[in-house]
Amino acid sequence: MWFPEWPLRRPDAPQDEPCIVTGERDGNLRVVAANRRALAAGVVPGMERSEAEGLVPAGISLDRDISSEMFRFEPVLNVIEDVIPRVEIVEPGWLFVPISGAVRYFGGEGPLIDRVVKEVDAVAGHGGRFGVANGPFAAHWAAKQASEDEPVLIVQDDAEFLAMLDVAALGTDELVATFNWLGIHTLGQLAHLPRPAIASRFGTPGLAAHRLSSGEDREPSPRDIPPELTVEERYEEPLQLLEQVGFASRALANRLMEALTPYGVAPHRILVEAEAADGTVRSRVWRSADPFSAASLSERVWWQLRAWTDAAGVPGGLVWLRLAPEDLSGSGRQLALFENVAAKIEAERAMARVQAILGPDAVLEAQPVGGRNPADRVRWHRWGEEAPAPGPEAPWPGQLPDPAPALITPEPKLLEVEWDGGLPERVRLGSRWEPVLNWAGPWRQVGAWWRNETTVDHYQIVTSAGAMLCAVSDGKVYLVGVYD
Amino acid sequence: MPGSSMADSWGSVWQGTAGAISTRPGPVSPLGTDELLAARPGRVIALEGPTGLGLTRLGLGLLATIAERLPVAVVDVRGWICPLAAWELGIPPERLVTIRCTDPIKWPKALAALLEGIGGVYAEVPTGVPDQVLRRLSALARSRSSALVLRPLKGTLPAGISFLRLRPAGVVWDGPHEGHGRLRIRKIALEASGKGAAGIQRTIEMEDDGENLVCVVSGMAVTTSRRAAG
Repeated sequence: MWFPEWPLRRPDAPQDEPCIVTGERDGNLRVVAANRRALAAGVVPGMERSEAEGLVPAGISLDRDISSEMFRFEPVLNVIEDVIPRVEIVEPGWLFVPISGAVRYFGGEGPLIDRVVKEVDAVAGHGGRFGVANGPFAAHWAAKQASEDEPVLIVQDDAEFLAMLDVAALGTDELVATFNWLGIHTLGQLAHLPRPAIASRFGTPGLAAHRLSSGEDREPSPRDIPPELTVEERYEEPLQLLEQVGFASRALANRLMEALTPYGVAPHRILVEAEAADGTVRSRVWRSADPFSAASLSERVWWQLRAWTDAAGVPGGLVWLRLAPEDLSGSGRQLALFENVAAKIEAERAMARVQAILGPDAVLEAQPVGGRNPADRVRWHRWGEEAPAPGPEAPWPGQLPDPAPALITPEPKLLEVEWDGGLPERVRLGSRWEPVLNWAGPWRQVGAWWRNETTVDHYQIVTSAGAMLCAVSDGKVYLVGVYD
Repeated sequence: MPGSSMADSWGSVWQGTAGAISTRPGPVSPLGTDELLAARPGRVIALEGPTGLGLTRLGLGLLATIAERLPVAVVDVRGWICPLAAWELGIPPERLVTIRCTDPIKWPKALAALLEGIGGVYAEVPTGVPDQVLRRLSALARSRSSALVLRPLKGTLPAGISFLRLRPAGVVWDGPHEGHGRLRIRKIALEASGKGAAGIQRTIEMEDDGENLVCVVSGMAVTTSRRAAG
């Protein structure tokens, strides 16, 4: 849901003369909202303030006050949360709501949206735009494409809807300029290009753009977030002054980002929970298209706490504050991966060039995952693509002991072994037989019989040519790893 | 009970193995071995020897120091390198990129591109790469201040390429015994030569306990050089 003119909903914004609200974006003061008169004069949101003021010299220019906007937006959030839980706010006037559960409850998207529109109109009046789609990127653009006359746009097919949009919807100026120069003007044209070619030419940003334009920005499946990545603080003396709350929010946001840094991850969604002295607990999820940084996170926590405090939603003062990531993205890993910006740029350029030479499938990263065999404990993905979600931490009884073999055969290779009374005697390596100096095992892995998996025994065999990991199954011996 | 079975051509993995080697390490150098076995920016280290004697793990271990602050890359020619070993040696998963390249024509181009921007590279060298190309890559690593560990899959590198040349002279595994125990500690005797070994041939004994970084065991005696340093 998007209220394009929400920043203008303030008492000092005139209706009968041109008015613009400006805020800082990319280090410049830019227009974030303009009223009808200013828009009619040619002002466009995103325009630099000086340029906009040149178009409406007699107009009113206001600085954005997000805390006040948030305070006024809080009732809208509350009425939506009465209908659908788990509202995710990006900024005042712009929010996402996962509706799949509510759609089933209300019997369809139409009845649900009608109810939400009715509730929102009751507290905020007209002006909201509603977009419904499978992914947040398409939903956001659906809301932007909705009009005042038809404020609800329901997208049936994300890829089809996005195909009509200009590539400028991606929002990355440099990339968009290059796409335009190459004759790629719509997201549909971009989506039709082969992804490996885009990855080779444009690297990570190109891959992300291709994924978005193909409508592949579905929400990741819920996963377990380790409890140590949640931070909380209980205050013996309730915090009643805004300055105290501001300091507390900044300190806790910094603590959370410090906790995440060693893991090389960053959240896109954060749950902010606060408890008042009277026991009232309030919570809200904040979302960001880019991974949160310490500064952006503390800003949002501050906006939220101030909105609650101003609305008397924290009676008696704040006694407990908790920040919990709702998801974790590998996008944050670059903060830890590279020591400085120059090294980051050089390394990314080198990787992208290698991808261009060898193809995207040849440049790989790996994530540790659970498993019994060395090969099972590694999950590969292409460099530049989002790392797959790690599975929950779990013990693996029967796991082969460390150290892991440094070499793993992509496919088990038949090995000729001579046995004497169940003990390995010698191994054929190429054209010669090597006596077994020592051996350990077996580590038995019982397969899932319902999937026709057989039982496999693993042995560590030491010869004078080195040590190897062998698997014995159905009377045959296979080489699966070399301790090189 | 498993019986004998037919082997296929996997034995080519051990290509270059001239036969069983001594498992008795020779005299060991106590002098400056920590410094000796460190991949430093601009240095090229050659690991020469047959598969199975611990050179892959040693090569990954050499990159671990660099991976504390910079991303590192592994060029995997056979598609066999397992990142688990690198992680065990202290390379964080998010700082390790694996490049799979079997084509000896594209291999030099890919490695050159890596050296332009990556702080440390462990590269298996496929057969068929001309000496001249290897010399150029070595020069590139020096000029770009990248640490480069080269592991020829067959044969040796041409002279003058590497700052340090390491060859396994013997390996002993502790741990397994007639079915009991497990592989625990590998002791490798390495023959070090080249400029990094001060022009003399030394023998270094190393110990890999599988969990900590590869460490150098204190030595007992100095090997005397049998030839002049060139």
